[in-house]
Amino acid sequence: MSAIFHSFRHSFRLRDFHCTLMFIFVLGVAAALCAVPASAQDKSEKALSASAKAAASDPVLAAMREELERSKAHLKMENIAAPYYIEYSVLDLDEYDAEAAFGALRQKQRTHGRSARVVVRVGDYKLDSYYGPGTGFADLAPLEDDATALRHQLWLATDQAYKAASQALAAKKAVFSQFSSGQPFDDFAAAPALQSIGAWAKLNFNPAPWDAMLEKATDLFRTDPKIQSLTSLLRFRAVNRYFVNTEGTVTRKGYTVYFMNLSGATQADDGMRLERSPYYSTGSLKELPTAEAFQADAVKMVTTLKALREAPMVDEEYRGPVLFSNDAASDVFYGMIGENVLGRRPKPGDSSRTEGEFASSYKSRVLPNTISVIDDPTLTVFDGKTLIGSYDIDDEGVRAAKVSVIENGELVNYLVGREPIRDFPESNGHGRAAPAQAPTPNMGNLIVSSKQAISAEDIKKKLIEICRQENKPYGYRVETLAGYSPRLLFRVYEKDGREELVRGAEFNELDTRALRNDLVAVGNDALVSNREGQIPMTVISPSILFDEIEVKRTDAKNAKLPEYPPPDLVPSH
Amino acid sequence: MNRRFLRPAICLLAISLGVPPSQFSSASQPDVLLTSMQRELQRATAALAKANPAPYYISYTAADINATVIFGISGSIAVSNSIQRRQADVIMRVGSAALDNTHSKSRGSGIMSSTLPLSDNPDAIGRVLWQLTDREYEQASAAFLKVKTNTAVQSEEEDKSPDFSEEPAKNHLNDAKAKVSVDQKAWENRIRTVSGAFLKYPEIYSSVVYLQVSATRSYLATSEGTALVHPSEISRLVIQGETRADDGMELLRVETFQAATPGQLPSDTELRAKVDRIASDLKALKNAPAAEPYAGPAMLSGRASAVFFHEVLGHRLEGHRQKDQSEGQTFTKKVNQRVLPEFLSVTDDPTLKELNGIGLAGTYDFDDEGVPAERVVAVENGVLKNFLMSRMPITNFSHSNGHGRRQPGLMPTGRQGNLVVTSTKSVSDSELRAKFVEEIKKQGKPYGLYFEDIQGGFTLTQRALPQAFQVIPVMVWRVYADGRPDELVRGVDIVGTPLLSLNNIILTGDKLQVFNGVCGAESGQVPVSAAAPAMLFSEIEVQKKNKGTDRPPLMPPPGGDQNPAPLTEKAAVKAPSKAESQAEGKAKP
Repeated sequence: MSAIFHSFRHSFRLRDFHCTLMFIFVLGVAAALCAVPASAQDKSEKALSASAKAAASDPVLAAMREELERSKAHLKMENIAAPYYIEYSVLDLDEYDAEAAFGALRQKQRTHGRSARVVVRVGDYKLDSYYGPGTGFADLAPLEDDATALRHQLWLATDQAYKAASQALAAKKAVFSQFSSGQPFDDFAAAPALQSIGAWAKLNFNPAPWDAMLEKATDLFRTDPKIQSLTSLLRFRAVNRYFVNTEGTVTRKGYTVYFMNLSGATQADDGMRLERSPYYSTGSLKELPTAEAFQADAVKMVTTLKALREAPMVDEEYRGPVLFSNDAASDVFYGMIGENVLGRRPKPGDSSRTEGEFASSYKSRVLPNTISVIDDPTLTVFDGKTLIGSYDIDDEGVRAAKVSVIENGELVNYLVGREPIRDFPESNGHGRAAPAQAPTPNMGNLIVSSKQAISAEDIKKKLIEICRQENKPYGYRVETLAGYSPRLLFRVYEKDGREELVRGAEFNELDTRALRNDLVAVGNDALVSNREGQIPMTVISPSILFDEIEVKRTDAKNAKLPEYPPPDLVPSH
Repeated sequence: MNRRFLRPAICLLAISLGVPPSQFSSASQPDVLLTSMQRELQRATAALAKANPAPYYISYTAADINATVIFGISGSIAVSNSIQRRQADVIMRVGSAALDNTHSKSRGSGIMSSTLPLSDNPDAIGRVLWQLTDREYEQASAAFLKVKTNTAVQSEEEDKSPDFSEEPAKNHLNDAKAKVSVDQKAWENRIRTVSGAFLKYPEIYSSVVYLQVSATRSYLATSEGTALVHPSEISRLVIQGETRADDGMELLRVETFQAATPGQLPSDTELRAKVDRIASDLKALKNAPAAEPYAGPAMLSGRASAVFFHEVLGHRLEGHRQKDQSEGQTFTKKVNQRVLPEFLSVTDDPTLKELNGIGLAGTYDFDDEGVPAERVVAVENGVLKNFLMSRMPITNFSHSNGHGRRQPGLMPTGRQGNLVVTSTKSVSDSELRAKFVEEIKKQGKPYGLYFEDIQGGFTLTQRALPQAFQVIPVMVWRVYADGRPDELVRGVDIVGTPLLSLNNIILTGDKLQVFNGVCGAESGQVPVSAAAPAMLFSEIEVQKKNKGTDRPPLMPPPGGDQNPAPLTEKAAVKAPSKAESQAEGKAKP
């Protein structure tokens, strides 16, 4: 048993408040930025004057740059090298959250907060202190454009970051000395100085009609006594990020993201828990559904839950063709391709190229040779939809680049930030950070395409054709996933193409090997799937057909049905 | 670890961000939240009576909280938010009072929490409670089966008391509305000003001025028929400054003001004076010599004694600790035996609203199990008489005395409210000091230690660990036998074991001082007070404080002189000043 402390205090530390930031910053998504690109600057002097000019246009940037210059000039401990690189970032987050359950709001909150993060690097580009506690310090920053208070916070964080960096460098050298081979790449990639002041992103909306949409949608619980839970939430967020470093980069960029969801749960008569949680994630308010459309979707969700309750269980065993809708396929590509092409450096001593499954797949085939994947953060709109994974400058002050990751099935590149990995010495503008966290390589807009894409109609025909060849009465089509488990799964009958909703299924062996070897067709129905989170991303994916996936009955034990019925509705209400 | 412990509380407050508080249940008409709770509770009680195993007790609680939090740093606002939230807990006991699902380590199976609609929508409230009750029943019934099996398999427990005491049902509906009227903009300005006063002091590296105002309307309905509604209001303003000595020791000064409403908090002039005081204390501490380990005579101010008693005695009087077999049970078998010098008595009295004009933080009418608060005489003339009881009975103490407390979301346990230590062997402050010097001389020591102010403390009560406590003093003075002026020292922690330390008290002062604070334990953070007179100890042991090793900041703060000169001054030697703040009953002998 762990020790129990009985404490009695009336003090606290500001640092303890970080947990708040973690609460506040449950992040979102990006809109198009209207940054003004500055012409490339080669000479550092020129870069500095350009950065001074850029910073002068914004009081926060000016304060950051002033404190940065002071630190650069004076920060030095006896017997310890002065920093060779310092960066400051300040994140401004304005967020509105609301949640309704059973027709009534139970949360409604506007939050505005700022955090500051400081990285100090000691050593040089080849070998530096970026390790453990040397990866930076974060703290609260004043909400107001108050140079004195902001510089005070930066001053303290810089002092801590420098002291931690000097210790981190020693610790890192000690760890490296245990391994015989040196590191065949630099610790930190050089990047050109960049100045760019983007438009300020702000939330501009009236909450009342949106709150009403949540209440109205969740009031649908009245229409079906077997609905056990019905909630809906929204999270509107404007994020602005200031960044300066001692290389002369000065940037400010902002984005907004608008997220809404519906969430319902019910139980089948045998006790199986059934859930749905459709969501909307957009980069502009205009792209969210209208009140009418949102309500219609809520009605549809409630109807689907009823259909699920009444749907037959999947057969115990199935091995055969499965068609993934574009929505379901986007989850698969996000997790099995996107996550594995990130150039995240493994721990010291591990000679792998990256942490992901594709660490040793460079120049190897990872998908059928008809499929290519790019990540293009510079693309702002696709199919009329704002891509929230868009940005023009990443969180390390590097200009975003379109990266061709998989060409005709072959892995040719990784998404990298300023921490080089073997054979990839430079950033391609994919260093992205969650609020108050260190940047790491991440996706922006991951786009999957095929040179042999076929129509939605044809891909379904192909599914039926495989069933026929294999003598199967039906194949499966999955509409939407939760994790990698199907939420909505349909039998597609070979005889007449009829679809039948089933429940209780799980996939077996849905993995990168299946993507490489069992993917037999790709649709031309690419869907924009915006993924709201700590770092906003977009996946654009068409539907895909596997010729063989195992579908089995879930092992999860059914829950008991409620002991007693839900309350009767109060008549006067 | 102490610091880590504090975090959840801060987080909880920190969620307090958002939209101006508005709605309150209209108190004149029937309270919709209460009637909705009661209706659903009735249904649950009737329906689940037929289940197997069946619950024998169900309670619904709701805390309708309106809170505002403002943080100021360096003369600027870093956080300013308000929140309204209604937290609901369903507590369920399955089995019988003799043995139920909450037995021993399975206590957590008794509770399930969620948030309720903010508006008085009876259908939505009913549904959330129904859902919550169903989930809690699933958890409690499964836990009960496990408890039954474990009890059958394990050796017999020493304390065979039932798991739950029988208490009469209470009905008390307080119509008063808890009101939180905080002018957020005006307070932001005030906090900016007070926080900005720290900018005059470059040696204070870090400072926070923090305001939390909350008004809560608490609801309790139980299957036994209890129905309670009561409002509570609290405003806390905390001023904290921090610096570091040249050897890396972190130095912290905190001042807390507490009142029912923000309007009753001190004026800006008083607050700014407090900033000046914190700054001068920190400056003196920064330049004070580090203390050496010491065992010898010591004098604790009333506030220091109060925290000392809260940690050393108070926590060990909490009823449930006498039953839990992993607890140290220092006092379990000492009832009617002498545990303190016979001139000392200790009561815990949540019904006491103020002491010497100071509002007490641990005051309440009913505890969180719906039992009326009682004044408990725990120690009378040195003899242990009673424990602080929740509805968890222990050998020879079969009923609650209204000390079952918790923060929303956690199961209640016996906790302190207002702990008051009184003495029949007391002398005036000046006489106490004279006796102190006499004791130092008698023991042939060059000096004794005077503990003027403390920051807090913690204690370990578990059996697997040493029965230790620690009190964290911040203003400690060496009082010399030869009459030299008192000398401030830094970096001391009082350490020791409970039984020994308590019996080293030889004499007390004649004025009670109050420490208001927040106490954390298994059942969460609860506001408490402790009050005691100054005390003279024949011996107290101190250890060196575990200190940081980082040097003070390398550069001076921004905005001023760019010359990074070290911020040091000559060591300050000063006699304790006579003009002390009375804000929390602080006074000096």
